Amino acid sequence: MRASEEQLRIWMIGGLDGDADAYTALLGALVPLLRSFFGRRLRGAADDVEDLVQETLMAIHARRGTYDRTRPFVAWVYAVARYKMIDQFRRTRPMVQIEGLEEILVAEGFEDACAARMDLDRLLGGLSPKQAKAIRDTKVDGLSVMEAAQAAGLSEADVKVSVHRGLKTLAARLRGQG
Amino acid sequence: MQTEDLIRALASDARPVPRHAVECRVGIGLASGGIVTLAAIAAALGFRPDLGVAMQAFPFWMKWAYTLSLGIGAIAATLHLARPDAARAPWLWLLALPFGLLLAAAVSELIRTPVDGWQRLWLGHSWTRCSMLVASLSVPLFVGLLWAFRRLAPTRLRLAGAMAGLASGACSATLYGLHCPEASATFVLTWYTLGMVLATLSGALIGPRFLRW
Repeated sequence: MRASEEQLRIWMIGGLDGDADAYTALLGALVPLLRSFFGRRLRGAADDVEDLVQETLMAIHARRGTYDRTRPFVAWVYAVARYKMIDQFRRTRPMVQIEGLEEILVAEGFEDACAARMDLDRLLGGLSPKQAKAIRDTKVDGLSVMEAAQAAGLSEADVKVSVHRGLKTLAARLRGQG
Repeated sequence: MQTEDLIRALASDARPVPRHAVECRVGIGLASGGIVTLAAIAAALGFRPDLGVAMQAFPFWMKWAYTLSLGIGAIAATLHLARPDAARAPWLWLLALPFGLLLAAAVSELIRTPVDGWQRLWLGHSWTRCSMLVASLSVPLFVGLLWAFRRLAPTRLRLAGAMAGLASGACSATLYGLHCPEASATFVLTWYTLGMVLATLSGALIGPRFLRW
C-alpha cells in the first residue's frame, strides 16, 4: 500500500530537519509515486520514466528548501515532477505529437485520482482496521468476498458484515460532514 | 545509475534545511547584490551632499515610498514564484497601486505648477542618465537573485524572471535615491519607472534561460 500524504509529509519534515532515515524512507516511497505519475504520461518509454524519476528525485533533493511545511506535500512533489516532465519535453521533443498530447492530457486526471485516494485513506482511517481492510479489499482493490476472506483468514460472512457495517458508518459520517 | 543507489547518495547528503530557507536565500542574494550596488553608487556617483537634510523632507520619502513599496511587492512575488506549487497570484496587480498613487501626486504637482514649469519638473537635471543608472545598478541585485534561485524551484520562469527584475530594479532605484537629488513626482514617475521597467523586461527576457533547473 502506498504511504499516505500525512506519512510522506512527516518523513519530509524529518528529512528537512536532517533525519537521514526518514529522508531515505521518503525518497523510497516517492519512487513508485513518481513512476506511475510519469508512466501514465509517457506510455511505453520505461527508460524515459526512470530518467525522469531520477531527475525529479535530484531536483527534490536540491530544492527541498522550497517545500513549505504548512502546505500539502504531494502537491509539491507533483509540481516538481510536472515541471521536470515539461522541461524534458522541451529539451528532447521540440514538437510534441498531437496524438501523444491527447494521452498526456487524459492522464492529467491522475492527480485527482490520487487526491481521491488520500481522502479515502483518511475516511477509512476512521473505521476499525478490520472494517477498513474489508472495504479496501472488496471495494477498492476489487477482490471477491471469498478472496478477501481467505487473505484475511476470516469467514466470508465476517467480511460481508464488516463491509456492510463499515460502509454504513462511512455513509453516516459523510452525511454528518455534508 | 540505479535509483536505489541514487536514493542512498541523496540521503547521505540530508543536511538540515532551515525553516525559512527560501526567504533566507533571497534575502542573502539581495543583500549581497545591494552591497555591491551601494558601493558602486558611493564610488562612482557619490551620495547627495544634502542627504541628512533631504531625509527630513517630503520628496525624498515620496521617492522611497514609491520604490520601496514596489520593491517589497516584487520581493513578495519573487518569493511566491520561487516555489513550484505557487498558485496563481491575482494580487500581483497590487503592484500597480504605488504607480497609481505616484501618478496622482504627479498630476496634482503639475496642476499646481504653471505650464512653463512643467518641462523642468519632468526632465529635471538628470533625465538623460537616471533610467539607465537605475537599470544598470540593478544588475548586481539581479545576479544575487539568480544565485538565490539556484536552490529555488520556479515553474513560471518568465514571470519569475520579471518579478526578480522588478525587485532588483526597485531596490536599485531605492539605493539610487541616496544619490539622486531630483525632487519632483513627475520626474520619478517617468524616469525611475522607466529604469525599473527596463530591469523588469530584462528579467522577463532572460528569466526562462537562466532560471531553468
